[in-house]
Order: sequence, then C-alpha cells, then structure tokens
Amino acid sequence: MASREIISYDKGVAVKILKWVSPVFLAFYLVWALLPLFIMLMASIKDLLDAFSVPEPGDWAGITMFFDFSPTFTHYIALFTENNFGTYLFNSLVASIGSAIIAVTLGSMCAYSLSRSEFRFKKDLLFWIISTRMAPIVAVIVPLYAIFRSVDLVGTLPGLILAFTTFNLPFAIWMLKGFFDGIPYAIEEAAQVDGQNRFQAFLTILPLAAPGIGAFVILCILFAWNDFLFSTIIGSGGAKTLPAATKELVQPQNIDWGKIMAAGVITTAPMIPLGLLVRRYLVAGLTMGAVKE
Amino acid sequence: MTVTTSSETHPALSDQDWGFSTIDRPPSAINPPPSRMFYVYLAAPAIALLAVITIYPFLWLIYMSFHKVGFGSSSDIFVGFENFSRLFTDTKYIEGWGLLLKYSAICLSIQVVVGVALAVVLNNSRYEKILVTLFLMPMMVSPIVAGLLFFYLYNGTFGWYHWIFQSLGFLGETSILGSTKTALYGIIIVDVWQWTPLITLITLAGLKRVPQDQLEANMVDGAGSISNFFNVSLPNIYPFLLIAILLRFMDNFRFIDAILALTGGGPANSTRLLPVYLFDVSFQFFKLGRGGAIALTLLIVTIILGLILVRVLEDPTRKKALSGDPDN
Repeated sequence: MASREIISYDKGVAVKILKWVSPVFLAFYLVWALLPLFIMLMASIKDLLDAFSVPEPGDWAGITMFFDFSPTFTHYIALFTENNFGTYLFNSLVASIGSAIIAVTLGSMCAYSLSRSEFRFKKDLLFWIISTRMAPIVAVIVPLYAIFRSVDLVGTLPGLILAFTTFNLPFAIWMLKGFFDGIPYAIEEAAQVDGQNRFQAFLTILPLAAPGIGAFVILCILFAWNDFLFSTIIGSGGAKTLPAATKELVQPQNIDWGKIMAAGVITTAPMIPLGLLVRRYLVAGLTMGAVKE
Repeated sequence: MTVTTSSETHPALSDQDWGFSTIDRPPSAINPPPSRMFYVYLAAPAIALLAVITIYPFLWLIYMSFHKVGFGSSSDIFVGFENFSRLFTDTKYIEGWGLLLKYSAICLSIQVVVGVALAVVLNNSRYEKILVTLFLMPMMVSPIVAGLLFFYLYNGTFGWYHWIFQSLGFLGETSILGSTKTALYGIIIVDVWQWTPLITLITLAGLKRVPQDQLEANMVDGAGSISNFFNVSLPNIYPFLLIAILLRFMDNFRFIDAILALTGGGPANSTRLLPVYLFDVSFQFFKLGRGGAIALTLLIVTIILGLILVRVLEDPTRKKALSGDPDN
C-alpha cells in the first residue's frame, strides 16, 4: 500500500509524537464509546443496593466497588411479570417489521417507477418525498394525531405501523431509487423480449436489488424500533413499544433504575447485531445515499 | 411504425416500447406516453400515502397558526397573524432558536474535530475494521434509551459519570444537569457520544477516495503526512463533511428524545431548544395555534436546509467526488 510508504518519508518530531499519541487516543475513545453500554449492562444485573454504591469523590481505588456485586436477573424477570414487557416486545417486533415490509414493498414499486421514468417535475417530486422524511416529527405530530384519531388508529398496532411508515417510506423510496438507477434497463428489455409483461419484468430485476432491499428492510426496522415520539403519542393506549415503555418506567418518585437499565438492554441488544449486519449499507442509509462506502 | 401493427398478434410485442430502434436510447426515449401509465400505477400507492400524511398536516398547521384554538365545542377564532407576531416577543421562542444553534454549533464542532481525527488515525490501520465496529455501537442505541442511560450516569448521588466528573474536579455536589451553567453540556455529551462515529464513518469513506497520485505529488514536493492531510486530504473530504454537518444539523431539529429524557428543557429553560419548546407548547400547554405557528417556522427552516443539502448533493463536481471510484 502506498500509504505505508508515505509514513516512511516522515522524519519530523510532530509525526513521531502523533504516532505515539494515536494509540492512546484510540484506547481512550474505545473506553468512552463502550463504557456507558457496559455500565448499563452491569447495572441491569445488580440489585439496587449495589447499583447505588459509588465511592467517595476522588477515591480512585474505590472503583473496584463497581465490580463488587452478585449478579441477579430479578429486574429482567420483573419487567416481564410485572410490567408487561412481553406485550411491548411483541408490539415493537410487529410494528417495526410491519412498517419495514410495507415501506420497502410500496417503496420499491415507487422507486422503480421513479428510476425508469422521466417527467417534468421529477426533481420537485423527489425533493418533496425526501422532505417528508426530514421534517421534524414534533412539528407534524399534532396534525398526524388528529388524522389517526379520526380514523380510530390511535393506540392500535396498525396505526403505529402506519405512523412508522411515514418516515420509513420516503427513506425506502429514496434509497431504492439509487439502487434501481444502478441496474441497467437492458435486463428488463430482455425479459420483455422473452414475453414477460412489464410488471413481470420489474419482478425479474428485484432479485438483483435483493441485497439492497434486505439492508433497507433492516435499516427501516432499526429506525422504527428506536422511535420514541410516535410510539408514545400514536401508540399511547394499546400499542406502546419498548422505547416508550422504558421511558414510562421513570416515575416522579421511586425510580427503579435496575428495571430501566434492564429495559434499556432489552431495547438495545437486538439492534446492535442488526446494525452490524448491514454495516456495508449503514453510511449510505444514514446519509440518504449521499455517501457510499 | 411496423412494430405497433404487429403488436396485436405477437405477445412479445404487446408493449409499444419494444423495438430495436429504441434499444440504445435512454429509458425516457423508450417510453412513449401511453406506456407511462404503468409507472403511475406502480408509484401511486406510495405517493398517495405520502400525500395524505404530508399535505393534510401542512394545511392543518397553516389553519391552526391563524386561529386561536378553542377546547371542546367552542369554535376556533380567526386571529390573523397574531400567533406569528407574538413569536417576536416570546423570549422562550427566541431563546429556543439561540439554544438550538448553540447546541448544534458545539455538538458539531466537537464531533467534526474528534470524528475526523479518529478517521485519520484509523484509516489503513491494522485494527480499522474491528475498532470502527466497536465505535459505531452507540449509534444503534435508541435516543430515548441513551438519554435515560446518561440520566443515570449523571445522577448526583450514585451516577458513575458524576463520580468521575467530581473526582476530576469538574463538578461540585450538583449534578451536571442540575445547574443552568452545565446542563447544556450534559445533553451535548450524549449527542457527541452517539453521533461522533457517524462523522468518522463518513470521513473514512472520504479518505478512501483521496486520489493517491495527489498525495504522491505532494510528497515529491517534500511534504510529510501532516502537510498531506491539510493540503490534499482535507480539501478532498470537504464535501463529505459538508453533508455530514448538514444532516446532523437537521437531525438536531428532529430528535429531542434524549433531551426529553435528560432535562425536559430545564433547569430554568437552559436546555429548552426550540423543538423542545414546541413539544411543550403543544403537549403541556395545548396551545395548538401558537404551536402551529412555531411548527411552521421550524418546518420552513428545515425545508431551506433540505434545499441546501440537495444543492450540495446535485453539484456536479461534488457529486463526482462523492461517488468516485475508491480505487483511483
């Protein structure tokens, strides 16, 4: 690699210092990135007394107190037996997977159509689609609530699925359009020559977009799963998901931190492997396709 | 057109756009007007759904912002621009903008400096893959969970981060969220923790596309890697950073979950960024008219930012830099 040779040219003091500083910097950042997650995991398996014991300020040796506890799963068990977390987990799964499937199904049809056709206000239409995703949810949630209320969808899973689709659909359209743009039209032409109609031709090229479609389904699940505002407001009543339920554990008196941390672990744990699974598409997904790795 | 006449008999020719004469032309030329309906049908369900969930709320916001909204059976009173003109004298509204900008400016400067530094150190290092994987984990955490987690870490009596701050002498007895001077930094830390890795990922993608020949040419002139970074790499990753900054800035308008969990806007409004204030006006005080006016101003600024973003993306020179072949 050329970059290795570049380093050998450097003889300055600054470069030498940098070479020593960078591992320290990386180590420090690693601790900074993972420490909160580690503390959350530990706090979820400590009983309250252990979770609340912190040494005196300045007593660095007292840090061993952090590891001085006997693990317990009572918080996890209590969440499912006392706080209905089974239902919330189910709601989270159904709502996020449901909205991801609807968003990507409708989104791929729309994206294909936008990718293959050319018309006058196409740019404006695309901007309108993307702007529906960029809009601050706080700004539009009151009128959306009014719509959902009028059709009796507040507090129901179909309502929540639809609510999540409002931000997942524009995402899916925008991302998949980029994907279809990269698939040559000649493939559909060949399919049509073989006697397929145009819808069948569209279905033939879907497998070519399969890796992208799969990744965007997972990203849509991730966005919906982590959503809080829709889940609290549109889901309130009968369709709360894990983030909303976790927030509700915070009561004015007597905050049960063990349970909250356990709920945090339950909410976070499935998303980390899913996020890493689509690692290749993550940057594209989070930058609306502007940057590809 | 002989093709169209034979299309009635031959199934393969049932679509009018088939024909050798059109094969080398772009899709737009292949599709004569009648066959376009196919695209309309395909796009219709998604477009219709988006229209319902965007146009109605937008009209609703406009209606609300011109009315004083009554409760129950009492009807709404038209008040003209009163809801808007009152914003100019609403100190919380003006402070809300100020705090939003201050919060974004501090968050973004830390994220860009640390994120770019991480990317430069990680780029082509032996542990790049594994470290990037570990670093990006905070991004997967639901913002509300991140907020609650830091709420616990900051706790004045048993929070481990509070203990660290105290031990290092940064803080006294009061938790970082308890004082108007430090609360904003408390919420900034959470955003920096979650989103610095995004800047790192984007910068890494940019660094992979820095043309090797430019680096080598610079070295022939006697430059070292520090000069290389500032004179060659940085200008090349600039479009990537611009996009990252715009996207993060817009996300600060959208996501208030962590702030709601950490401070809810307090103490004494010191973390009441505009979106948080809007949330309070709509959901604590139920002032739908004023909320509508605030929401509209927020939406308009977001749309302007969105237009800038698209302009950046569509810029041909930048577009080339962004999607360029990494192997060049």
